[in-house]
Amino acid sequence: MLLDAVIIVLRETLEAGVLVSVLLTVGNRYKLGLRWLAWAFSGGMVGAIIYAGNMGLVSHWFDYVGQEVVNAIIQYSIYLSLLLICLFVASIPRISSRALIYLLTLTVALALIREATEIIIFYSGFIGNSAVFSKAATSGFIGLMLGLSVGALCYFSIMSLKPRHVKPVQIGVLALVGAGMVAQATQLLIQADWLPSVAPLWDTREILPEASMPGQLAYAIFGYEATPTPLEAGLFLGALACTPLLIALSRFISGKTLIEARTQ
Amino acid sequence: MRVLLGSNLLCWAIFVEAATLVVNIEIKAHLFYPAEVIVPANTKVKLLIHNMDSSPEEFESYELNREKVILGNSKAVVFIGPLAPGEYPFFGEFNMTTALGKVIVN
Repeated sequence: MLLDAVIIVLRETLEAGVLVSVLLTVGNRYKLGLRWLAWAFSGGMVGAIIYAGNMGLVSHWFDYVGQEVVNAIIQYSIYLSLLLICLFVASIPRISSRALIYLLTLTVALALIREATEIIIFYSGFIGNSAVFSKAATSGFIGLMLGLSVGALCYFSIMSLKPRHVKPVQIGVLALVGAGMVAQATQLLIQADWLPSVAPLWDTREILPEASMPGQLAYAIFGYEATPTPLEAGLFLGALACTPLLIALSRFISGKTLIEARTQ
Repeated sequence: MRVLLGSNLLCWAIFVEAATLVVNIEIKAHLFYPAEVIVPANTKVKLLIHNMDSSPEEFESYELNREKVILGNSKAVVFIGPLAPGEYPFFGEFNMTTALGKVIVN
């Protein structure tokens, strides 16, 4: 068994799995079926193959930091999509079901592009060596199953909640994942030297190491970093605060009350 | 005026480039060379990583908060710092048992 393959596939599946599982509960709540998911997976996989195939070109952009910039754009886009999905879940009437389907499809496809690209590039290193490739594929399958198990656990945990708790949990988790995307994207732009890098605000490595399983899970849910810079922490909190603020603002404008008339 | 502005911008660009310390790292046979990189404290550093292997690698460090895929036979840039004195391990995620190194900040 190749431990590297297990860990890489597990990490990427975990990150996408948590997000996709919560979005599945949203789709389930609005009885949207699974066709959107099939489109999202197809689009995401095609996008990931194209991105992986052009990674050499992309990496040369902007004086060798193109990879960071493109990944940051993908993650900021996921955040914006999640923000709109949260608005929908909070029963803002101006977004149609069709718009929700598009948003769910786009978000899952972008998440897949972000996570699957790395897996494709990892496995491309074994092309021409069928024995190692086979071993890596088997190991990766174990990582995939472990990651999907966490996603399934997340999905059924939300689905088993009392109906009145489902919406707040969906909004809460999506807001956290979205804010984590902003923090990760900001970190990438710091890595690219597009944003200033300064000393970390705090250090929680002793309490929750990033490399540990709980640390990886925290990273998947809200982009946990043990040593965030003030910019990352500030943008994380700002992005997190945007969700309740926009929901409140939309409700104020539309004159809606907190008790909605939707499917519950 | 335009010439003056252009030359000022050029001087500024050279200054910024000169102010950033560049450190070269090579990946060969899934190992980092050098495996230990010594850099000054509180200084921004540009790591220029050449992957000499034909297979891809991912430069990763939890301590440095850095993660970047580097295709085979290609190079990549990763900016780190300013850092406090200490040791900051990094590894190649695609070969994490062999590709190990650390940045030592003095």
